[in-house]
Amino acid sequence: MTPPAPRAAYIHVPFCHRRCGYCNFTVLAGHDERIDDYLRALEIELRGLGTPRPVDTLFIGGGTPTRLPLPHWARLLDLVARWFPLRPGGEWTVEGNPEDVSFERVSVAVERGVTRWSLGVQSFLPWKRGFLEREHTGETIDRAIESCRQSGAQVAVDLIFALPDETASDWHSDLDQLLARPVQHVSTYSLTLEKGTAFWSRWYKGLLQPLEEDRQAELYLATRRRLRAAGFQHYEISNFALPGCRCRHNETYWLCGQYDAAGPGAARFVGGVREVNHRSTTTWMRRLFAGDSPVAERETIGAELAARERLIFGLRRLEGIDVREFEEATGFRLDALAGPAIDEFLAAGFLEQSGTTLRLSEPGILVSDTLWPALLG
Amino acid sequence: MDRHRIRNFCIIAHIDHGKSTLADRLLEYTGAVASREMQDQLLDDMELERARGITIKARAVSMPYRHQGTEYELNLIDTPGHVDFQYEVSRSLACCEGALLVVDAYQGVEAQTVANAYAALEHDLTIIPVVNKIDLKHARVEEVVEEMEHSLGIAPEEVIPVSAKAGIGIDRLLAAILDRIPPPEGDAAAPLQAMVFDSHYDAYRGAITYVRLRQGTLSRRDKIRYCGTNRTYEVLELGRFRPKQEACESLSSGQVGYIIGNIKSIADVHIGDTVVLANDQETPRLPGYQPPKRMVYCGLYPADGQDFAELRDALEKLSINDPSFEFAPETSDALGFGFRCGFLGLLHMEIVQQRLEQEADIDLVQTAPNVTYEITTRSGEVREIHRPQEVPDAGEIAEFRQPIVRVNFIVPTEYIGAIMKLCQERRGVTRGTEYLSTTRAMLTYDLPLAEVIYDLHDKLKSATRGYGTMDYELLGYEPADLVRMDVLVNGKRVDALSVICDRADAQRRGRAIVRKLKSEIDRHLFEVAVQAAIGSRVIARETVPAMRKNVTAKCYGGDITRKRKLWAKQREGKKRMKSIGKVDIPQKAFMAVLDTGRQSPDR
Ligand SMILES: Nc1nc2c(ncn2[C@@H]2O[C@H](COP(=O)(O)OP(=O)(O)O)[C@@H](O)[C@H]2O)c(=O)[nH]1
Ligand code: SF4
Repeated sequence: MTPPAPRAAYIHVPFCHRRCGYCNFTVLAGHDERIDDYLRALEIELRGLGTPRPVDTLFIGGGTPTRLPLPHWARLLDLVARWFPLRPGGEWTVEGNPEDVSFERVSVAVERGVTRWSLGVQSFLPWKRGFLEREHTGETIDRAIESCRQSGAQVAVDLIFALPDETASDWHSDLDQLLARPVQHVSTYSLTLEKGTAFWSRWYKGLLQPLEEDRQAELYLATRRRLRAAGFQHYEISNFALPGCRCRHNETYWLCGQYDAAGPGAARFVGGVREVNHRSTTTWMRRLFAGDSPVAERETIGAELAARERLIFGLRRLEGIDVREFEEATGFRLDALAGPAIDEFLAAGFLEQSGTTLRLSEPGILVSDTLWPALLG
Repeated sequence: MDRHRIRNFCIIAHIDHGKSTLADRLLEYTGAVASREMQDQLLDDMELERARGITIKARAVSMPYRHQGTEYELNLIDTPGHVDFQYEVSRSLACCEGALLVVDAYQGVEAQTVANAYAALEHDLTIIPVVNKIDLKHARVEEVVEEMEHSLGIAPEEVIPVSAKAGIGIDRLLAAILDRIPPPEGDAAAPLQAMVFDSHYDAYRGAITYVRLRQGTLSRRDKIRYCGTNRTYEVLELGRFRPKQEACESLSSGQVGYIIGNIKSIADVHIGDTVVLANDQETPRLPGYQPPKRMVYCGLYPADGQDFAELRDALEKLSINDPSFEFAPETSDALGFGFRCGFLGLLHMEIVQQRLEQEADIDLVQTAPNVTYEITTRSGEVREIHRPQEVPDAGEIAEFRQPIVRVNFIVPTEYIGAIMKLCQERRGVTRGTEYLSTTRAMLTYDLPLAEVIYDLHDKLKSATRGYGTMDYELLGYEPADLVRMDVLVNGKRVDALSVICDRADAQRRGRAIVRKLKSEIDRHLFEVAVQAAIGSRVIARETVPAMRKNVTAKCYGGDITRKRKLWAKQREGKKRMKSIGKVDIPQKAFMAVLDTGRQSPDR
């Protein structure tokens, strides 16, 4: 029996103006001259699907998808819509940098079916944007949000907090300005120092001091408090949405559903196999042009691992998991998978159980990355 | 070889004063090695020794030398320069009649110069004083000669100025060796009596013994007996070092050479032992033999418990070449299965560890080193204590003793005050101050060895801007007010972190240790209390607060695998840490007890 085809797809666009100091994503910075090649390679990869695959959710992420000039932008959207046509009632998100999100660009997208914009705002405060090496201004942010609103697309905003020396009032000011705008979805990330980034080496040389842990915790809790008070649901570790405005595409990841993908570094999960395309854009292209597979890593997820992934990513959704449903769907008893660890976390108050629901408590959310390794078995 | 034409000598010098260079020059001038085929510093043939600039193991070389129509045999016996190998040095000295005492014309007399010179005098050696590096622009030959006179009572007119590097004064030095050093005594017709002064292991030929014949003659096919082990062997090969092994038919009284005799293990060749003919029960053993004495112990554990067998194999392999190092399995609640290892001293410990790391690719956790203590219990039993865990309850101890050493410091006079302060803080007892010249002095203190091994050398260097030198010798054991201090993590004793220290220092050290541990232990999901205690009395405490936040973010582009692999890696990292109760202690933390809590004098 062949499993049903995935109903979600992700497309990665690697171009950026230049690499930001904190970023370790699959990015090709300062090489816009490869955009044509990229689109040709993407077409080859998509043609490999054989027939178009209708989907419920589409997500075009980056990099900076809006880095593409308008004609290429239209070509990209057409290409994606041809191979992954959106079903009625579907959700189609594109990521954009505020400075590129003009009304015209938004219209081109909405005409082709885009329903949702995820804007890399990062901060409303100039000093924070400066520190993060982001080039947009307050005006471009407002113009971007307004363009989306006028064309009827939903607006999601990314914000970063816990910069070195960031005070509570800095962050509250960011949240104030966010809440004053017509935004339906917010993702908040504390600044993390990833290996291989410029920030990481600055930290390594002692030139950058991360914000103290206790203060990070305060900022995180403040976010939760304020956004919930404003009617947002905190539905995943770093995601908040007004009712009915969650990102359905991301929920597919967290519920361990299937999804297809294309583009450099893009990950897919189809038929119990997780694959990741080559993270180097040039290698990805070269392979496709040579008629080779762009896949760099492939892993078959056995039943137990699938259950563990489902457990962890399920718990990262703050509604938690329904134990009975979980056990039926995975065929594993929760005690058998991770009984002692779960008991320990329940006793310590990091997890809470009501009826058949198991979820993170507030203290548990704060230290959740310390909990997951124990659930991996 | 007629013993009257033999000269046996060694070179003694402070490190870097030119011992190796001078040895090379002698080899070249005597023609023992043609200079073009001469490797740099031939005697120092182990890479590690070269890196550290220290001759660790004694080697020997026989130089044929023609002088005024007569053929001589000059045997140069190399001596290790470091105090850890004092016994080995004494055995090498016992094989010589003379010593070249080399002093750097710029640096002057240093602590090792004095220590080695006294050792040579104790063995009744004829000393040929040499000032080396006279080619240096800043050479201060006259002052240095004066320092030698003051510190060692050397007659200035006996000093031979040379430059080992430029080859100045070498002929004069060779002439002095022939003139001043007496030829060996001992009748070649008497029964064989040979002193073992070194050995090495050859994978094909077994243990190779280095000997100096005191009397008698030794030939191929002779049956010989090692008095220490009482084992007998047939001599399969014997010969001299030129400088490579060169076989010959026989060696006679006064000569230096090697014996190969199907000896399986180097542990059967004891340095200082006596070799006689197998059927000879009359000839006595030479005096002065001592079994190797390990003064410093530490625990070595594989970071990954899986590597235990590998570590054992690696230790065994090392001990094949170095019988003075000893190891025995031990277990620790905190670290699992590992080995208690005994070393001649701290340098020896470092050398063994470096070899382990180079030769066997094993990640090691090392516990802080400690010296060997002695305890007399109330029932009158005397115990050697090699690890803090062996210290019995205070009620059982009648007397607790520690090794005391006599330390000579040689420093520029302006630092005398700093040295006195260093020693007083460490309960040193002064034994005198001597001025070597108007600018340099020698201070002598008796100090606990434990104080010396932890940090005294580093502290000396920083207190004297690198100009001070020190050397020491073991005096013996003396009673002291010692206690075992334990470290508790969330109420559980971490056995591998216990230390023995003076009661008066316990408070300070306890505070330093818990502070250090606090900085090494990551935050956990719960609060972690770190305490230092003597018996049940807590003397210092720190708290590692519970983790407040560890949650990041974005699972971008659905790359779940990457996130999962990250967590899996964290889990592996956690497994490699040692855990006490539920507290993970990083490997580095086990050295935390070395932090004595004393400020460096220059801070
Ligand atoms: N200028 C000068 N340098 C020398 C002389 N003899 C040795 N050296 C240098 O002093 C350093 C230490 O010499 P070495 O023989 O390795 O000293 P060891 O540690 O006593 O064996 C080396 O850099 C030598 O090149 C000399 O006569 N003149
Ligand atoms: S714009 Fe985004 S993807 Fe591009 S470098 Fe900056 S953070 Fe990375």
